[in-house]
Amino acid sequence: MNPLELTLGIMTAVGGFVDISELVFAAKAGSQFGYALVWVFAFSTFGIIVFSEMSGRVAAVAKQPVFNLMRHRLGLKLGLVALAASIISNLITCAAEIGGVALVLNYLTGAPYPLMAIVITLLLISSIWVLSFKWIERVYGLLGLFMIVFAVALVALRPPWGAIARGFVPQVPHGLSTKELLTFAYFVVAIISAVMFPYEVYFYSSGGIEEGWGPKDLITNRVTAILGMGLGSLLGIAILSNSAQLFGPTHVDPVIPGSVALEAAIPFGKWGLIIALLGMFFAVAGAAVETCLANAYSIAQFFGWIWGRQKQPWEAPRFTITWIVLFALALAIVLTGVDVMTLVEFAILFSILVLPLTYLPLLMLSGDRKYMGQYVNGPIGKTLGWIYFAVITLAAIAALPLYFLTSGGNG
Amino acid sequence: MRWKSLLLLMLLAGCSKGPEADLQAIKQARSLAAEWALVNEQASQGKLTPTYVQSMREWLHYQLHTSSTSLTQPDSPYGEEIHALLTQPQDARAEELRARAQKLKQIEDSLESA
Repeated sequence: MNPLELTLGIMTAVGGFVDISELVFAAKAGSQFGYALVWVFAFSTFGIIVFSEMSGRVAAVAKQPVFNLMRHRLGLKLGLVALAASIISNLITCAAEIGGVALVLNYLTGAPYPLMAIVITLLLISSIWVLSFKWIERVYGLLGLFMIVFAVALVALRPPWGAIARGFVPQVPHGLSTKELLTFAYFVVAIISAVMFPYEVYFYSSGGIEEGWGPKDLITNRVTAILGMGLGSLLGIAILSNSAQLFGPTHVDPVIPGSVALEAAIPFGKWGLIIALLGMFFAVAGAAVETCLANAYSIAQFFGWIWGRQKQPWEAPRFTITWIVLFALALAIVLTGVDVMTLVEFAILFSILVLPLTYLPLLMLSGDRKYMGQYVNGPIGKTLGWIYFAVITLAAIAALPLYFLTSGGNG
Repeated sequence: MRWKSLLLLMLLAGCSKGPEADLQAIKQARSLAAEWALVNEQASQGKLTPTYVQSMREWLHYQLHTSSTSLTQPDSPYGEEIHALLTQPQDARAEELRARAQKLKQIEDSLESA
């Protein structure tokens, strides 16, 4: 297996795990609750590996992307509800990512934030137009690996490894007030949502079809899902742990996304800062590309249009117009002046509401022998799939009340 | 019945005035002051680029101003503390900023335990 074949998983994971929501929530989780939320990252990572592998397998065997399944499995009416919810969720997420990249460019260059938002949107549109799908993956996936500086920073900071290891055990910290318990619960829900963002599965399964996966690629699919998502999780846990060590004791609950870059600047100085900002730039830009393309994939697949970046833009005109319009709409949201952190909170909230609708048809089809033949879910995959489905459904039910009771996790 | 109570709680949270309603702004201002202190401390050690420092200080000041304007009681001790932060020079000493963050933390803790 060519190592470059892993770039789809790396891009999906780095852009999915370490997008602007992840940066913000991992850092806030660490500063407020120390290492007590590490297990939620580990638990959700296992969940996204299960569902990514499933969606890749369905793409390779049944040649069905997620939104095609939704329409057939949920019916037109419920399918339309899922499509509308997913479009809103992905659009807000895309706007948050564009705002996030513009902020990073502002930290790097000092140029005005609105101007940077316009520039980055044009750059992203140009890159998708010019680059093939393979190169989109490689550019954003591999350059996003600058984010590894956060994992190296964790080692350099000499953290209490025992405390981090204990964080992998599911727990609720002792001595929390009712308000703090609710905030902790909100963070659990928000991290599950941020790690299992629905756009990751839309993008990953559509990417598998773009790359022409077949049953022979099932090993690649499994390795990509495990290594890609595992790497994303490692980075998320590193950001959380750095934050627990550097921000928690100084009463910093990162309000500004740029504060996260301090995690690399404190141990490594200017070069650490620059590498961290470059990593954040490519990871968040990759997430913007993923959310926008995932949205366009969803719409095109639902309505049965010709789609795909393997085709020239003019060979799939409705798909091409859709992703360009979606970028323009996301930019328009950013230019209204709404705070990036507010967009992040809404993106998390909408995503968790869409999650059950995303994963139910996938579970049903991957367990259907008529479509999947010998590649149908085994007993372990089936059990894990339904357990995670139950968890995300509970999280979706709890999300709105927790959001209002905790003012979006701000206590 | 439980849902009605929950709804009432949410409505009260949305309509309330005074220190309780200002708690979120106080927390945000405390964190911003602490972030500002960290940025200035690292900048003084030469660990940050001038562009990053300038951008961060501008964003921190902007967010502090937003927190300040959202207060329902701007003349309260915490309102004055936040106002004092807004009058600090951009390159204020980290110790000074940290001391102000600490004062806001004490106010926050007393409000939360009340």
